[in-house]
Formats: sequence, structure tokens, C-alpha cells
Amino acid sequence: MSKTLFACGFALGALLAVAAPGVATPAALPTLIGKEAPDFVLKSMDGKNLRLSEYRGQVVLVNFWARWAGDSRQEMPALDRINATYHRAGLVVLGVSVDEDLRRAHEFAEAMKVGYPILFDTTSNIGRDYLLQKMPMTILVDRSGVVRYANIGFKRGDDRAYLDKIRELLRE
Amino acid sequence: MNSKQRIVSIMLRGGILACAWAVIAAAPALAVAADNTPPPAAPAPAAAAPGADAVAATSAPPAGAAASPGAPLPDAPAADFKTLDQEVQSMKKDVIDLNKDLFVLQEELLFPANTQVAVYVSMDVGAFFALDSVTLKIDNKEVKNYLYTAREAEALLKGGVQEIYLGNLKVGKHELVAFFTGKGPVEREYKRGATLTFDKGVGAKYLELKITDRVTKHQPEFKIKDWD
Repeated sequence: MSKTLFACGFALGALLAVAAPGVATPAALPTLIGKEAPDFVLKSMDGKNLRLSEYRGQVVLVNFWARWAGDSRQEMPALDRINATYHRAGLVVLGVSVDEDLRRAHEFAEAMKVGYPILFDTTSNIGRDYLLQKMPMTILVDRSGVVRYANIGFKRGDDRAYLDKIRELLRE
Repeated sequence: MNSKQRIVSIMLRGGILACAWAVIAAAPALAVAADNTPPPAAPAPAAAAPGADAVAATSAPPAGAAASPGAPLPDAPAADFKTLDQEVQSMKKDVIDLNKDLFVLQEELLFPANTQVAVYVSMDVGAFFALDSVTLKIDNKEVKNYLYTAREAEALLKGGVQEIYLGNLKVGKHELVAFFTGKGPVEREYKRGATLTFDKGVGAKYLELKITDRVTKHQPEFKIKDWD
């Protein structure tokens, strides 16, 4: 409540101030880049619970996928290759399924045979936190837990862009 | 200071900060605009020739202008920046103070001591149970579902105590139900519940979910302890 009151006061003051000529405020962009990655804890395919914040200090690639998104089928093997190469260098790849049908998501994940952990979000809370609009979506989180890169969808050549960013973040 | 006065004070301070922020944000733009404005033309000395007049105007300021009391000093911009920097620092301090006040007020408003209820989780030994998740229901309404990672479970086994829930309850009788899931003896899936009916009086209520080993039965035991 106090925050709301403060926000009201601040907004009122800002409105008055901005009404003065020559002062303008930039519009906020709906993106997570530059912000701290919202934390989550999810059950993985092997039954373990994994929390994003426990990977602080490592570069984390989070891939949100759904079995009904055709691009996921192309992207997951590419991410598996990246994981196999860069895991030892400090990269963590997490696949997060946003499918509501847990059983079919499990079947899909097993069929893809990827080596990185696959987590299941059946509540849609994480999708909301990460402003998911289209599947698949991939984000890169740096060692301090800040989102540094996001890619919506997947097309040929995107995996190269991931590699460039991953190398850059691993060097930091 | 009562709550109303604090609310008004916080709103006023927010408004003042916003105005100050806007003024400071606009300052560089105004400074640039002032720099770009052409200075008023100095009157040319009547005795000088037109050619010499132009050279004098571009090469050196007139002696009269430099000596006049209204002219800006050479170090004036530096002094301005210093003042601006001091203002920014003072604003930063104000923001920190305000943030602290807000936090205290938020705690008081959201979790007033007389309606507060806090639930903690602890584990003792844990040889017969590997904790996976805890679901809490208060008066038949789910208030928390917490998944434990291996590290968190290990921290509990090492003696850590986790505050799993903090909320508010009215005075009177309430029922707390806790469901524990995990791996029991011989790696079997294990789900157990524990229930406690408690009286919430005036003042904070502290409850502890305790997971212990019952050695005689080789089974885990789940209890809810009411810390009066």
C-alpha cells in the first residue's frame, strides 16, 4: 500500500514536472534484457528440482519450448550440440517446457534425447514472468543473473548468434 | 506520527523527488540550449575602422566586458557542475532514506504484528526421508507450494530453518494442513500430511513444521509445533 501511495505521489509529481516544456521521458520497452532474470524452481525430467538462481556464477541459456511449436524441434538438437561443447567451460543449458499436457511433453522430451535438463512448467507462472509471446524463446543469463540476450522463434543461423553471445559472456 | 500523516508525508516526498528528478534531467538540455544561443552583439567602438573592428570582436573580448561585475567567471561551469553533483548526491541519500521508511511502513501495513502468522520448516536427521516439496493449506486454502532443490534440502539437514510462509490471520480458530512429499525409506515415493488446529490470539503466531526420524519404526515423522 505504501508503495502505491509513493507511486501515486511520484506519478503526480512526474506529471507536473513533465508538463513543463522541454522535458520528456522515454517509453519503457517490454523486454527483460538488462534486468535480473526472474527466479524459478521447477521439476526436471529426472525428478530433481532445479532453481535458476543456484546457477549464479555460470552462464545460463534458458530455452522455453512447446511440443506444438515446430521450431522447437529444430532448435533443441542445436542447443544440445552447444551444451556438449560449452558445458565444461561453464555454460548451463536448461530447457523449460510450457506445455500444459505433462505426459505428452515428457514423451516429446524423451524423443528429442537431449543431454541438458528439461524442466516442466505446468502453471504458466514462469511464462508470465518471462513475457513469453511466441514459442520457442531463448534467453541468455550472465554470471550475475542478468538477462543479456533474448531470441524469439528459431531460424537457421540463430545458433551461430547464440554461440557468439555465449563466448562473449563466458569471457566476462 | 500516525499512519495518515506518514502516508501524506510519503506522497509529498515522492512528488518532490519526482519534480527534482525532472529538473535535474532537464538541466543538461537547458545548458546545451543556453550554449547554442548566440551572445548579444557587443557595441563596436566608434573610433575603430570596420576591418579592425571585426578582428577585435573575434580575437579578444572587450576589456570593459571582462571587467564588468555581471560577466560570468571562467570557473563558473565547474562550480555549477559541483553544485549539481552535490544535489544529486543529496537526492540519492533522500531516496535511500525514503526507501528505508517505505520498507518499515510496508512491513507494518502488510504484516502487522497482531495478525501475523509465520510458518517455519526444520529437519532433524532425515535418514528416512528426502524432502521434495511442502504444500501448506490454511483453512482449506492453499497458501504455499514449495519445491526443494538438493541444496536447500541439504541446508535443512545441516540445521537450517526456513521461513516458508508469512501472512496474516484474523483472531480465532484456524487449521493448518501441511503435505510433505519426497522419498521415504527404500527410495519409495512418500506423501504424508500433518494437521494442526490452533488459536490465533492478539499477537504474532509462530508455527514450525518438524520432520524427524522415528528410529524405532524406521519411518519419518511429521509434526507441527506451535511456538506460543
